[in-house]
Amino acid sequence: MDSFFSRRSALKTLSCGFGYLAFAGLATQQSIGDDKNKSTNPLLPKEPHFPAKAKRVIFLCMRGGPSHVDTFDYKPALIKDSGKNAPEQRNRKLMKSPWEFQQHGESGLPISSLFPNLAKHADDLCLINGMQGEVPNHPQAYLKMHTGSFRFVRPSVGAWSLYGLGTENQDLPGFITLNPETRVGGAQNYGSSFLPAIYQGTAIGQVNQPLQRARIGNIKNDRFQGDVQRQQLNLVQEMNQDLLKKKQVSPELEGVIESYELAFRMQNAVPQLMDVSDESQEILDMYGVGQKATDNFGRQCLLARRFAEAGVRYIELCHANWDQHGQLKGRLEANCRATDQPIAALLTDLKQRGMLEDTLVVWGGEFGRTPHVKKQDGRDHNSKGFSTWMAGGGTQGGQRVGATDEYGINAIENKMSFHDLHATMLHMLGLDHTKLTYRYAGRDFRLTDVYGRVVEEIIA
Amino acid sequence: MSFPTRSLCVGITTLLMLASFRVSVAQQEKLTQKQLDFFEKKIRPVLVDKCYSCHSKDSKSVKGGLILDSRDAIRAGGESGHAVVPGEIENSLLIEAIRYDSFEMPPKEQLPESVISDFEKWVRMGAPDPREGPTLVKREIDFEEGKKHWSFQPLKISDAPSVKNQSWPRSDIDRYVLAKLESSSLKPVPDADRRTLARRLYFDLIGLPPTPEQLQTFLDDESPSAVEDLVDQLLDSPQFGERWGRHWLDVVRYAESNGRERNFVYPNAWRYRDYVIAAFNSNKPFDTFIREQIAGDLAEDPTNEQLIATGFLAIGPKLLNEGNKNAFKMDLVDEQIDVTTRAFMGLTVSCARCHDHKFDPIPTAEYYSMAGIFRSTDTLYGTQRQQGNRQSSPLVELKTDQDKLKNLRQQKQKRLDDIDGQIAANKKRISDQQKQSKSLSSRKNKDKSKQVDKKAVANLRQAINKSRNRIKQLTQQRKQVEQQQPSELAMGVRDGKVSDSPVYIRGEVSSPKGTAPRGLLTILDPELQQPVLTTEQSGRRELAEWIVDTENPMTSRVIVNRIWRHIFGVGLVRTVDNFGTTGEMPSHPVLLDHLADEFMNDGWSVKSMIKKLVMSRTYQLSSNHHAENYEADPDNRMYWRHSPKRIDAEALRDAILVASGKLNVSPPSGSPVSALKGEYGRQVKVGQLIKDHRHRSVYLPIIRNDVPEALKLFDFAEPSILVGDRPVTTVPTQALFFLNSEFVTEQSDALVANLLIEQDGPTDDIGRVSVAYQSVLSRKPTLDEIERATNFIERMQDELVQQRDDISEEVATEHAWSGFVQALFGTAEFRYVD
Repeated sequence: MDSFFSRRSALKTLSCGFGYLAFAGLATQQSIGDDKNKSTNPLLPKEPHFPAKAKRVIFLCMRGGPSHVDTFDYKPALIKDSGKNAPEQRNRKLMKSPWEFQQHGESGLPISSLFPNLAKHADDLCLINGMQGEVPNHPQAYLKMHTGSFRFVRPSVGAWSLYGLGTENQDLPGFITLNPETRVGGAQNYGSSFLPAIYQGTAIGQVNQPLQRARIGNIKNDRFQGDVQRQQLNLVQEMNQDLLKKKQVSPELEGVIESYELAFRMQNAVPQLMDVSDESQEILDMYGVGQKATDNFGRQCLLARRFAEAGVRYIELCHANWDQHGQLKGRLEANCRATDQPIAALLTDLKQRGMLEDTLVVWGGEFGRTPHVKKQDGRDHNSKGFSTWMAGGGTQGGQRVGATDEYGINAIENKMSFHDLHATMLHMLGLDHTKLTYRYAGRDFRLTDVYGRVVEEIIA
Repeated sequence: MSFPTRSLCVGITTLLMLASFRVSVAQQEKLTQKQLDFFEKKIRPVLVDKCYSCHSKDSKSVKGGLILDSRDAIRAGGESGHAVVPGEIENSLLIEAIRYDSFEMPPKEQLPESVISDFEKWVRMGAPDPREGPTLVKREIDFEEGKKHWSFQPLKISDAPSVKNQSWPRSDIDRYVLAKLESSSLKPVPDADRRTLARRLYFDLIGLPPTPEQLQTFLDDESPSAVEDLVDQLLDSPQFGERWGRHWLDVVRYAESNGRERNFVYPNAWRYRDYVIAAFNSNKPFDTFIREQIAGDLAEDPTNEQLIATGFLAIGPKLLNEGNKNAFKMDLVDEQIDVTTRAFMGLTVSCARCHDHKFDPIPTAEYYSMAGIFRSTDTLYGTQRQQGNRQSSPLVELKTDQDKLKNLRQQKQKRLDDIDGQIAANKKRISDQQKQSKSLSSRKNKDKSKQVDKKAVANLRQAINKSRNRIKQLTQQRKQVEQQQPSELAMGVRDGKVSDSPVYIRGEVSSPKGTAPRGLLTILDPELQQPVLTTEQSGRRELAEWIVDTENPMTSRVIVNRIWRHIFGVGLVRTVDNFGTTGEMPSHPVLLDHLADEFMNDGWSVKSMIKKLVMSRTYQLSSNHHAENYEADPDNRMYWRHSPKRIDAEALRDAILVASGKLNVSPPSGSPVSALKGEYGRQVKVGQLIKDHRHRSVYLPIIRNDVPEALKLFDFAEPSILVGDRPVTTVPTQALFFLNSEFVTEQSDALVANLLIEQDGPTDDIGRVSVAYQSVLSRKPTLDEIERATNFIERMQDELVQQRDDISEEVATEHAWSGFVQALFGTAEFRYVD
């Protein structure tokens, strides 16, 4: 077209893409005296510390504390002793899971009947049964799960991942969170805190909102579309070019020019990626899109796959309302119905595209639930023992790692804290959690603070 | 419940060193054969087998600074304290750890019960131990060595250096700068032209662009003092405090909610904001400003202003849902130590909470000495106790004069009357609807339109229920209003029960070990006298005096450097919040000391300092490129030119509003947050709070975790942490904001409305384009630019008419113009100040 575009492609090869020179002012904070960092795009893919098993993460966040004893932590003793007094708990009776567990796959992993579709992937699942948190309160535990700390405002796991690895597609945000929770810390759960803002998560929609209507802010102009807007943008860029000519050298200006081109590409790329109409009916059906129960989470899972495919580094999905103090039977069943098929479809889909091997899928909530009950049909918070699972991305499937006691109250074997979970996730991404540091306020911070253990058993 | 609160300090691993063998007291102990046997059989094998892999002098990496392979070592212990205290089970951390009471050791699996009881028995019998060997000793803090760091040294005052090019400097600042340039064989670029200088001064001093008229007035002023007059005028304008007060609000992590996992609003925080703005406007001496913020309440008969100033200590983020009162208090104290020492002195004292500071000479004991001062202080931040908030507090009651009191009582009565009126109206509505419903029901059987009636009755029933609910709500509200005392409230502090703080091992409130007498840091002694703290007061007054003491070498340097940072874009010390050994060295150390000294001599006058900086020739340089200089010093650390600055978030939004003519320059009273109560976010979103907010951006509500978009996108300071040096990022979401946001579209439309419709506006397109350029970019367009603009508008208009059949030609014209103005806003030229 015009000279502008040749300039643009020149820029593209010359420099760096999304957020080019985002850091003119950041060099000081990031790494004192390390001025050569200034001219690189902080979001370009970076070499991990060691060869990575996983290139990206999809975190399926089940907000509210999903019951482990009804899903992934099979407790025969709980069935046997159902109705008896719970140990060390007055007025509380053990209650067996209303759902049956069966063994699945060659590995024979026990999974409850709540997840019939997911159970077909048993041999890919690494059930982590020895999770242990600190505080059985949603807000603290939710922040701990996302940032490693509820005492201090700290960067989220996604932000650390992006900081450590950059991202592969410069037309898209490197860290996307779909339908994020607005309470219990809200944006802090995908924030960047003292890390540069460029690493924070981009939110699409919010929790309990239909994803179909959700958008990234300012992604569309209702007045000027397509070519008309392009002309307007050309005017902006011509003025910017004039200024650049006058200035001769200005990395800042080149950064602005580039950011517009990227924005323009992003505003096309994101809605396109979010529009699932180019998927086959077979795929849509597999994810449960169009079915009332599974539509919303099915769309989230499908989008997760599309974002993963497009090169997004860290993707989080949120499904809320796992806090069954009452109506366990009905409500837990409804949640599982809404998520089982979509998650299973996601695993199938990743696998058939050859992406499961380098995509780490993590499922979990901020804690689990008590095997004993106060009232009938409801379980309370239990942070002392609960379950998460991982699949793909170099995890060893078909196994249980760690264990709770006979009833599922306390983790007793291979106990894993969120720091351990984070350390292990970073490890899969090729990052040493003790080396991924950021200098702030005079000291070097880590996601795992002074804690964290890479749990080797999880790794294939 | 105990929460680990240690924070990480990676980096220096040389903290621990092996001490040479030394003859210890323990060596003289005579061990009986029985004791020896017990040790060799029951204790040593376990230590070797279970502990040495991490806790021996031969371990690959010694964990927690603890080795267990000699008598001295095991008794000295590691970072957390003595592992074994002979005879004292309770004070032996080793026992605690193997019992899994605090630490859980060995981590893999707990030792059998019988082994644990052997260890207990061993400690009880006096921990007989034949093993000679070295101990790991903690690095004793060497204050003499520590003091050698540049920022702990007294100011070094010397005469300004001589320079070769004597005609260039206008002030001492220029001499310092030029001397350094000359020593690197660099030459400063030419001075900036007057238009550029004016735009620069407007943005730097008041955060607003000049209007075309203001700019013209300055350009027409031919007197030699024109620049100085403009500087004086800007420093005197009320907009100055709004700009510079906001810089300070960044440093003190100002916000209007606690901002943690449960986010409760601070409806009175704005008083502190207004205090800060007023302080900068009145050019309050900075030492007074510091005293008031730390200890205004302890002044004799404190004024409201002094009380409000202590909001500085109260507005921080807080974990209000913390159940453990002591843990909450110590976190609060930590936050106060952190903000106080970093804001005023650039010292990261709170690093010493869990262990001695790993880089600066600040021992943990001194951290707790300082903690005692804040522990003896009650922080009054308000918020109501309710689910999710276990730590509410009262507020500071301000002194209210009689007229104001009367006024407040009247306001209260008016609100009560208003609520009563609404309740009465709802009651009447209910009774009317009940009547209506009755009459419908009675007709029901006779009438044919039975279906319709049924629906009507149902609707009425619904309406009645709605009214009833509303009455319930109103009654609740009435109760709340009735309870409110007619007094004005502010956030702040007052002295509480005065006592020393325990020293908490590793910062954990479950592990107190002794107390630290209240006091300050050794590092700045003895040049600076340690005050004696009385038992009557917390010690904040003494702390404030110690900070502002002219012998304190940190304070004046830190504030002068902050001012420099905002004028020149980069600090002389780039790490503006950290002057410790992990911070950067100043690029011009002698200049910094010179300025710090002058600052104090001028009575800590911020305005004088700013004036000095902007009147320097260095500041007034152009931003021109210069190939050789650029090659030698691309970051312009030597100030061979003026570095262009991206205007910050507030200035950006304000400048858009100035151009559109929509800015309301008068300050609002209070804040949109004042009307809120309780937890933020369930119903209210910041978008609703700021709808139609057209005051300056400094007055936008700052809710932690929900900062207004226009600010957040352009690197607004994260309000939960101290930010003296905002980053500048250039990201596509900023471009999307200019291309697509409602705000920019609206303001473009507003500017266009003025262009196209206003009576005394320009009458032709050329004139209109020219006004648009002047309004947005503070300059006239070139002929080429006019042509390009008019062509663009024409083409845009045609395409819009073709593309959209739903809009008239007139609307298409407006949109085309608006699209042009929007493009001007989007340019890099608008965003950057040369």
